Amino acid sequence: MQNIIQRELSINASAERIYNAIATAEQVVKWFPEAVTGEYRAGGQAVLSFGELGQSSIYIEAAQPYRYFAYRWVPGSNHFVGDVRAVPNTLVEFRIEELSGGGCKVSLTETGFADLPTDIAEASFGQNSRGWDFMLQRLQQHFSMETK
Amino acid sequence: MSQTAVVQIFKALGDPVRLQIVQRLSNGVPLCMGELSKDLGISRQGARKQIQALVSANVVQLHPAGREVKVQLDTAALAQGRNFIAKLEAQWDQRLQALKQLVEQ
Repeated sequence: MQNIIQRELSINASAERIYNAIATAEQVVKWFPEAVTGEYRAGGQAVLSFGELGQSSIYIEAAQPYRYFAYRWVPGSNHFVGDVRAVPNTLVEFRIEELSGGGCKVSLTETGFADLPTDIAEASFGQNSRGWDFMLQRLQQHFSMETK
Repeated sequence: MSQTAVVQIFKALGDPVRLQIVQRLSNGVPLCMGELSKDLGISRQGARKQIQALVSANVVQLHPAGREVKVQLDTAALAQGRNFIAKLEAQWDQRLQALKQLVEQ
């Protein structure tokens, strides 16, 4: 069984535009967390806020314009806040590749699930499942609106 | 199955030898402990220990068969693990779609 999450999609925009949407605090809040505080740059620690779902600390592992951005966190959890490098964490990586026909391929991987200790992961599953339900509900609403 | 159990499954599979054992059982056919322990690059005793770790995580079950012990994959347990990953995948898909919409505007 897989110990890795791997997603891929094509996006019809320039690598620079996609990268900036991922790697700048000003733009990442438009699609991912509601707010970012701290140092959102390579080697920095930042906190992502998800409104009432909580906050998650991240450590930014790498930021290479306009092709690669990676951070570490404790996935989903009751949103672990602190130095994520001091606890078992997962690595989230975004890769941007320009396609010959225009647009880009964006790949997302998250790795390290087997290394999570039982207590942290257990807590994160509990919290996470509420988060998932919330997200899935929103997704469903989105689709049902589209089909109307 | 509890959340702790799901975590145990991931931990159990986070080892190359144990993963290889699971792969050998993945067609659903139970194998004898002896057969399963062959060519893993570790001693029989070491293999036994790894199989026991899979038993503790409920990834496999042991069934006595005469003088031998058969090892069988617990597919229900593995489905739980897959379900966990599927939820995280759905969450990322939702985020990535939001990213796509933003930058394609």
